[in-house]
Amino acid sequence: MSGDKRFRTGAIALLLSLLLLAASGCGDLSKDELNRGVESLSALAAQGQLVASGVARDATKSTYARVMAKTLGGEAEHEAEKLADATPEAGTEEERDAAVAVAGEIAGLFSELQTFPGDEHHGSLVQKHLEEAQEKAEAITARLNGEKS
Amino acid sequence: MKAIFKIALGIIAAIGGFLDIGDLVFDTQAGALFRYDLLWAVVLGTIGIAVYAEMTGRVATVSGRPVFDVIRMRLGFGMGLVALVASTIVNLLTVAAELGGIAIVLELLFDAPYSMFVFAAAIALIAIVALLPFGGIERFFGYGGLALFVVVATAFHQEPNWGDVAAGFVPSLSSSSLYLYFVVGVFAAALMPYEVHFYSSGAIEEGWTEQNLKENRLNAIVGYGIGGVLSVALVVVSGYLFHPLGVEPNDLGTVALPMQGAFGETGLLLALGGMLFCVGGAAIDSSFAASYNLAQFLGWEWGRYQGPRKAPRFTASWLVFLLLGIAIAESGINPVEITEYSVVFSVVALPLTYLPVLLIAGDRSFMSEHANGPFATVLGWLYFAIIVVLAVAAIPLLLATNAGGG
Amino acid sequence: MTGSGDIYVVHRLLDEQICDSEGKRVGRVDDIELRGDPPRITALLVGEGLYPRRLPRHLARLARRVSGPERWGGNALRIPWEEVDELAATVKLRKKAEDLGLGMGDDPKRWIVRRLPWN
Repeated sequence: MSGDKRFRTGAIALLLSLLLLAASGCGDLSKDELNRGVESLSALAAQGQLVASGVARDATKSTYARVMAKTLGGEAEHEAEKLADATPEAGTEEERDAAVAVAGEIAGLFSELQTFPGDEHHGSLVQKHLEEAQEKAEAITARLNGEKS
Repeated sequence: MKAIFKIALGIIAAIGGFLDIGDLVFDTQAGALFRYDLLWAVVLGTIGIAVYAEMTGRVATVSGRPVFDVIRMRLGFGMGLVALVASTIVNLLTVAAELGGIAIVLELLFDAPYSMFVFAAAIALIAIVALLPFGGIERFFGYGGLALFVVVATAFHQEPNWGDVAAGFVPSLSSSSLYLYFVVGVFAAALMPYEVHFYSSGAIEEGWTEQNLKENRLNAIVGYGIGGVLSVALVVVSGYLFHPLGVEPNDLGTVALPMQGAFGETGLLLALGGMLFCVGGAAIDSSFAASYNLAQFLGWEWGRYQGPRKAPRFTASWLVFLLLGIAIAESGINPVEITEYSVVFSVVALPLTYLPVLLIAGDRSFMSEHANGPFATVLGWLYFAIIVVLAVAAIPLLLATNAGGG
Repeated sequence: MTGSGDIYVVHRLLDEQICDSEGKRVGRVDDIELRGDPPRITALLVGEGLYPRRLPRHLARLARRVSGPERWGGNALRIPWEEVDELAATVKLRKKAEDLGLGMGDDPKRWIVRRLPWN
């Protein structure tokens, strides 16, 4: 009887520690993953500039621009959540926070484009701000890789 | 004179119908990631489908046997069933991806919910199939797909370094698993088996005889050859615009961006319109291919020309496949992701459906004087070897690169 | 030797498409009945009930559950060899499908086909 009990407690303890291990493990954000995430943000910003420039020049269809802005904005938000939820590798916390901020900025800019997909003035503003956001993302990448060496 | 005109129209329809969502996705991604380096793989795949289609068309015309008749006869019931199951799964995924693709393009054009457009697309396809004669369906979608020549115009408008582009036609391998994944993907997207299965059944639907063999050859070589130019153009425009910017094309709408950049709203509308027609045609071809394969394997009456009363099980199965495609497209999985899997799995299943056709095409007892000559034999077996290598490498590469996610 | 000649005929005949006298497709040769010594082909066998015979053992059991037992006249049909008219790209029969009890799968009178929207 007591042998059974001990077995059960031992099993529960093992299960709990495995769970804890797993929980802490999958929350980790390695430097490589952070780098990848920032690269994605840069790519999104680049693509966004192409869409926004179309709006700015009145050289696109507003439905296309709106749906693209919605899709790309959704990807930026998803990236922001992913980066914010995870625990960054030691020494990269600042970069991770900066990345989350940039992701939020990009998502916000896409939201604006979604609201004004036919407005040339907004289009050119969004294009300019996305370029700035992209530069910020590239600066984060530079810092991450500078620290690597 | 009239005959030449008719053949020319058929070739034109084949050109416009060459691309589907797999090509749109993989060619654009290949350009963005590797610029012009994968052009050789596009050409390799294009020649591959020309070879496969010509052989299957010839076998169907001369021996009266469409692909899954050949497969059941040559592989027997057991292995044939494996080929059927594999083929059906791939075709189902393809139908879902194409339906999703139609819905995405409609959403980009009209900004109404994607899920509504999936249903609308299926209903429109049923109506088109019900109202138009068989040949008319191919021409309807084929001519519409010609709008994608705006991609070729964009490539010239961009004025890339043509020397760099030319270098991309020289085969090169890399140890990068992402590069190899895209070699497989670009090739497989060009050589989608459903297209060939549809083509072979179509030859029998149209009642082709030996007089049509020349037309068959022209359709395959000229039609698919020029269609390959569209694929090449997609890689080039994407490579020119997206590669230096580091853009990652994960959405179907991104495919049209270079055309918007070059020609503004007109370019965008031509690109989206062309995409709509080629993906729509592919949805019909892949859903029909699934029904053709099932009916032919089991010995049912089949054929669009028979109509729903004479071939009820065939027709019902077509509707069921459409329904299942709708279900998958509505499930919330991004059609671009479904496409990755449908293309990769199709090359894994390809050896099983290619080999029996190759064997019969070379067999004089079936083909008499139209059996494979020395050139066709060498080409046919060379491609079988290539297909087997890619089939073996496909799934490991899919896993290693996380479906091209890197 | 006649033995191998017969085997070749059976091999080529198996899995062929069967058409009736009017060209209607009525199934495939799912199995062949051989009788006598030396063996002669006495009938072609058609139907889902015969599929389990064609599959390896473990799959056969699953297939048997799906298609049910062999019900002659139902999911298994016998076409006497005399009914075969010609062997070409398909096996052509002398009579129409209804006269031989074939083609029931695509027959409007069968319940599933009757339920289809256009019937």
